[in-house]
Amino acid sequence: MAQHNLSTVVGFEFIRTVRKRGFWIAVLAVPVVIAIIFALSFTSNSSISDSADAQAEAEVTFAYTDASGTIPDELAAGYGGQPATDPTEAIEAVKAGELDAYFAYPSDPAEQPIEVTGADRGLFDNGTYEAVAESLLTTAAQAQIGNPGLAAAAAGELSVESTIFRDGEVTGGFTEAIAPLGLLVVFFLVIVMLSNQMLNSTLEEKENRVTEMILTTVNPTTLVMGKILAVFAVGAVQILVLLAPMVIGYVFFRDRMNIPDLDLSRLPLDAGTMVVALLLLVGGFVLFTGVLVAIGAIMPTAKDAGVIFGPLIFAMFIPFYAISLIISDPDALIVQVFTFFPLTAPVTAMLRNGFGTLDPLTAGIVIAELFVFGVLVLRVAVQLFRYGSIAYTDKLNPRTVLGRRRPATAKN
Amino acid sequence: MGSASVGWTYAKENTMSEPLVHIQDYRMTFGNTTVIDDLAFDVHAGETFGFLGSNGSGKTTTLRALLGIYQPTAGVLHINGKPFEPADGARLGYLPEERGLYKKEPVLETMAYFGRLKGLDKSKARSWSLEYLERVGLAEKATARLDKLSGGQQQKVQLGVTIMNTPELLILDEPTKGFDPVNRRLLMDIIEDQQRAGATVVMVTHQMEEVERLCDRVILLKDGTSHAYGTVRDVQEQFGGTTYRVTHTGVVPASHHYTVVSSQPVGEGQVSELAPAPGADEATVLTELVGAGVPVSGFTTARTSLEEVFIRVYGADSLEDATQPESVGVGA
Repeated sequence: MAQHNLSTVVGFEFIRTVRKRGFWIAVLAVPVVIAIIFALSFTSNSSISDSADAQAEAEVTFAYTDASGTIPDELAAGYGGQPATDPTEAIEAVKAGELDAYFAYPSDPAEQPIEVTGADRGLFDNGTYEAVAESLLTTAAQAQIGNPGLAAAAAGELSVESTIFRDGEVTGGFTEAIAPLGLLVVFFLVIVMLSNQMLNSTLEEKENRVTEMILTTVNPTTLVMGKILAVFAVGAVQILVLLAPMVIGYVFFRDRMNIPDLDLSRLPLDAGTMVVALLLLVGGFVLFTGVLVAIGAIMPTAKDAGVIFGPLIFAMFIPFYAISLIISDPDALIVQVFTFFPLTAPVTAMLRNGFGTLDPLTAGIVIAELFVFGVLVLRVAVQLFRYGSIAYTDKLNPRTVLGRRRPATAKN
Repeated sequence: MGSASVGWTYAKENTMSEPLVHIQDYRMTFGNTTVIDDLAFDVHAGETFGFLGSNGSGKTTTLRALLGIYQPTAGVLHINGKPFEPADGARLGYLPEERGLYKKEPVLETMAYFGRLKGLDKSKARSWSLEYLERVGLAEKATARLDKLSGGQQQKVQLGVTIMNTPELLILDEPTKGFDPVNRRLLMDIIEDQQRAGATVVMVTHQMEEVERLCDRVILLKDGTSHAYGTVRDVQEQFGGTTYRVTHTGVVPASHHYTVVSSQPVGEGQVSELAPAPGADEATVLTELVGAGVPVSGFTTARTSLEEVFIRVYGADSLEDATQPESVGVGA
């Protein structure tokens, strides 16, 4: 029966949330904005790239002087250029409209600028002269090197593959932190997106005066657990919807949007680190959820609950303000306090775990602490919900509720 | 609306059987205030029990403690031999004094949700709900949000949720509150249906005519203690019992067979109310009057109404006060 009721509560809470138009407006707003930004970025980058290519290949008639002696006349002729004997005459020819441009290459192109004088072709097309001037010099320089590999190296077109060893084992360096820190991002998203829903869900029975009906129909633990699971499922939908445009952008439009070329299939995944990160994520969620249910049971309305809710969120994420200290000096007193204080522990420990400064013993203590505190807080929260949500209009005094014990029953 | 499945033996005439609801030595305090003190009563399977009392006398608090919503300070509160647990919810229908459902949800979805929690499968919960909505004239509101319904319509929906899956114990806290006379009759019909189906009914109400019509036994609560407990007739007897209303001329003489309670002139004669002495019946009193030469033109037997009993116990203002909402809580 309890199992049946749990699935019934989860189904009801999940379906009624995802059926609301407001939910989808809120959920789709972020990915739609991201998609618009991606689309603009894609269009803009394509346009810029096409424009640059077109400008570099544009037909320009120009004269040039080359103090560096780098540019062969034949090459310049291919670009539409011819050597000038008198720079002043060349400039006058440009002014008269007889030439498109005049380029004056300096003796040391690395230190001195190329001087370009051109006839106006419009605000954007005037860049054509600089593109042609640069392209001509670059091509001339690469031709002088003679070796395509050296030419590419000179142009900075290099790729580097590093292999770093730690304790005799290959370590992935910064890439090793990506996956566990990704779970920290998931934790952040879960808390930010779900906390309000969890709070409202807990307060709903009280605000709608459904408490007595529901608590005489379903066990409060089943009800609260059902709500938590439903909110978690709703959060999963939100995250999927949020991530979808990012994944599509990464898979299909990575080159066009200047996304770093990161091969996710080769992302190093350390099993121990990932297990710790996952346990910290779940433990942190359990603890946070328990606190939210307790707040919802104590406070009469969502507005009243907001007074506590804000500082609670701040406490959860305050370690981000000390991130440089957490990374550089994990033994600092403040970092140790953040690591073991229940509300700041999840974020601090996940950061340290990601950057490899969380030793197994500390990890074990923090995980145990989160689960023990989480379960205790949830039990207290259920108790508060059971006996507190009947106080429809008043702020509940937890001591009044928790101080009561059911009397002995066998007294017939 | 489906047939009942009664699991407890009807025991109206056999109070020695195991009571369905058993409350003993029950005490409830909030802070330094004792709300209920040493309360005890039983409700037997199949009977309809009236839980009466003025505003603030502790009725709702007792029901909440019985259903595990409040933790009692002391005492035994059992349903079917053990403290109530929501896992037994399939057998309980509870209409609380504080009414409400999920206001933003459609009527049918809300009813189906509670139906499933009460043990019905999805299709049965929906079909039962639609049938009920049809009966109470809300079929066209099935897909409407609850907050689009009037207060009375919401009450009907809530009553439907209460009686889903033919509960064997029906606890109704002021069920007719907020109903107009037409809907009150509909609601009473539904309650009578449940009675006929074998449900045990515990009902808090201030409508004494409902109590006289529906209830087998009652308890009167005042300031958290029991002031009367028993069958409706027992309680009436306890607070005045039977009187004889005699229409006559002349003077009714004193007699050891009766006491003259009141005497009012009516037209050329008088109407006197006589309380019989223990053992004296109608014939004894009438014979005594005729023997004393009193010209009797009318003789009727009257029983003290529950409303009169209520007023005697709680005072004249109590019935008016009783219509105000009762609220006792654990808030700080």
